[in-house]
Amino acid sequence: MSPKAQLGGIYPRSEQLIELTRSYDRAKTDLDTVRRQIEQDTIALVQLQEDSGFETFSDGAFAWQDQLRPIVESLDGVTTGTRYDRWFDTNTFYKKPTIAGKIGVHAFEPKNFIRTDLLPRTKSWKVTLPGPYTFSELSENLHYATQSDLLTAVATAQHEIIKRLKDAGVSQFQLSEPCLVYRPYREKPSGGQELDNALAAIQKAVDGIQAKFSVHTYFGDATTIIPNLLKLPVNTVGFDLFETDYSQLKFETTKKLALGIIDGRESNAESPKWIAETATRVSKHLTGGDLVLVPNSDLKFVPRKVADVKARALAEATRLFEEGR
Amino acid sequence: MSKLYPVQEIGSLAKPRWRTKGLTQPLSSKDLVEAEDWAQRLGIPDFQDRAKLLLAAQEQSDRVRELLELSTIYGLRLFEQTGLDNVGVGGEQQRVEMYEHVIRGVEGMKVLGHVQSFDYKYFNKAVAESKIHRKHPIYLQEFLDVKKNTKGQLKVPITGPYTLIDWSFSGHYSGGRTGLSLKKQKQETKREFLLDFVEQVIRPEIRDLVDAGAEWIQIDEPAITTHPEPADMELFVEGWNETVRGFNCKFSDHTCYPSEIGYKVLAQYAPKLDKCSHLALEFANRDGTSLGVDAKHREGYRDLEYFIRNGYDGEFGVGVVHVHDFSGQVPPGSGKEVGRNILESPELVRDRLLYAAKVVGDPEKIWANPDCGLRTRTWDVTFAKLISTVKGAELAREASV
Repeated sequence: MSPKAQLGGIYPRSEQLIELTRSYDRAKTDLDTVRRQIEQDTIALVQLQEDSGFETFSDGAFAWQDQLRPIVESLDGVTTGTRYDRWFDTNTFYKKPTIAGKIGVHAFEPKNFIRTDLLPRTKSWKVTLPGPYTFSELSENLHYATQSDLLTAVATAQHEIIKRLKDAGVSQFQLSEPCLVYRPYREKPSGGQELDNALAAIQKAVDGIQAKFSVHTYFGDATTIIPNLLKLPVNTVGFDLFETDYSQLKFETTKKLALGIIDGRESNAESPKWIAETATRVSKHLTGGDLVLVPNSDLKFVPRKVADVKARALAEATRLFEEGR
Repeated sequence: MSKLYPVQEIGSLAKPRWRTKGLTQPLSSKDLVEAEDWAQRLGIPDFQDRAKLLLAAQEQSDRVRELLELSTIYGLRLFEQTGLDNVGVGGEQQRVEMYEHVIRGVEGMKVLGHVQSFDYKYFNKAVAESKIHRKHPIYLQEFLDVKKNTKGQLKVPITGPYTLIDWSFSGHYSGGRTGLSLKKQKQETKREFLLDFVEQVIRPEIRDLVDAGAEWIQIDEPAITTHPEPADMELFVEGWNETVRGFNCKFSDHTCYPSEIGYKVLAQYAPKLDKCSHLALEFANRDGTSLGVDAKHREGYRDLEYFIRNGYDGEFGVGVVHVHDFSGQVPPGSGKEVGRNILESPELVRDRLLYAAKVVGDPEKIWANPDCGLRTRTWDVTFAKLISTVKGAELAREASV
């Protein structure tokens, strides 16, 4: 067993980029200046991943305004007005998509999703997208007769987006599905027909595409649905270790488990030693598969300098884990 | 208050450019052109004398003190001119914003850097590096300035302890717990951090305000509805009850922009909040814009029912005007869209108030207010919205006779 470290999702913007975007918002800086700094932020994150020995690279998604926006902006039939909704139980917000018509995918620039032009050619590239269930749940449906119809339409559209990104060179896709596990507003954990529909939608989104896929859950306890997720035709299943009680679980799988083992919501930097020891404890519940060490969620919830420390610790922990075997 | 549908402010106003610039650099007479214009509109007769003082101030500390008091007077006059029954603290002109203003007054908290809130908006997030305590009074000088400069009814909005700790990293408080699941460790950490914040920062502040004459304190807790799990709600109640314990003062809660079921859950716990005699809530944001006083037209206000069903018997501050960007349809008679704003008509405000009174079952329990502070709107838009709110409350009173 040889765990790898990966980042995913939206990485925090640097203080320089934050200052420039604020200035842009006040019409005191032009968009080109902001774009140049986004490139600088991306290059810095690439460098960090190179220096730390990452093998799969994320670009940090520094231009993404929220976790759904690039998808929304690639779709016909979906709009956003000015309504912001809270992103789960964080103090951050996203523009709520409104499903106003039949969903279709229009022409888009792959670089709206990932800056492949800034990533090293010799490494594999990973992009993180909201899973079809989460996207559907966080949208306002004004068009489709049922939520299930919407889910199918979203999955079909995402399949097309993934195909085009694959053609642009992306080889790994993380589908984030926090709505499968963050359910304080539901009486029961995910299950029944709704879960079946969600799993079918994920399957539809990835169907037939030759790429590596992971389904990642966060902000909730994944204990009850991990067995279902492991049946999906994906390479990796991930969960949030700060929410999931893994002590009673036994995993027998050939898939990889992505452990959300650094907390994107706390500033304390987990030490590489602690990460490696915790991963070792979890590995004792796993037969056959392999581990990937990842942040539990996007790291955008901590300031940039905190995220950098955490990312480096993650990579260092994989070496300690190896040494401790 | 015997008058039906009294109108209150709820939080912060936009900071005028001269106020913001003057905090960090000397002002010129050109910088004060806008201030002079608004002085005439708001009736600030000693503006010229105050402007001279501002321009002549040699020491930054003198200039800042003068600026903060003057901008507070502007906020108070704006609220008075529009006819509000409660002028709060004049739009929180003396605060950076609701989080950082407090954090900078707390020993042991260190600002770590910015975190995205949405799009190109960010907030500075801090960590508890050691056990915390209050460095100095946080809201007291503002309250004293307000008291000196108005005869209107006052209310002091303060940021609640649950929100302050929820928006911070717990740092120092997260160490030393073993043998528990990571989730349980986080919960224990949160409780210790919260109760320390209450004892070491919030209660001393309330003590100072009450001793200085504050009779109504609004505790802003926007974070609570983002964690609608029972463990967090119980913790919120524990923190609230400890906060208000022993104080002879009116307390209200302001919670806005909840999660999907935020108000439904808050409604279950509101009756457990000691001395909480008023809830100021946001509804206009999610309401339709057509006129009407039935459930179909006033869908945005349906969550009020949860509070009644759960037995909350206090007053409601009902958000009747939207405070953020607006894009949508505004039917004739409901107001108009101006730039990125909706200027709600008095008739739309009236209908929202009448419907709220119908749901609550007692018009005497209904106050009118914006959804939240109007700090993202220009003063012109704020002025228009508040005038509309006051006129709408008058129309609701007429309709209730």
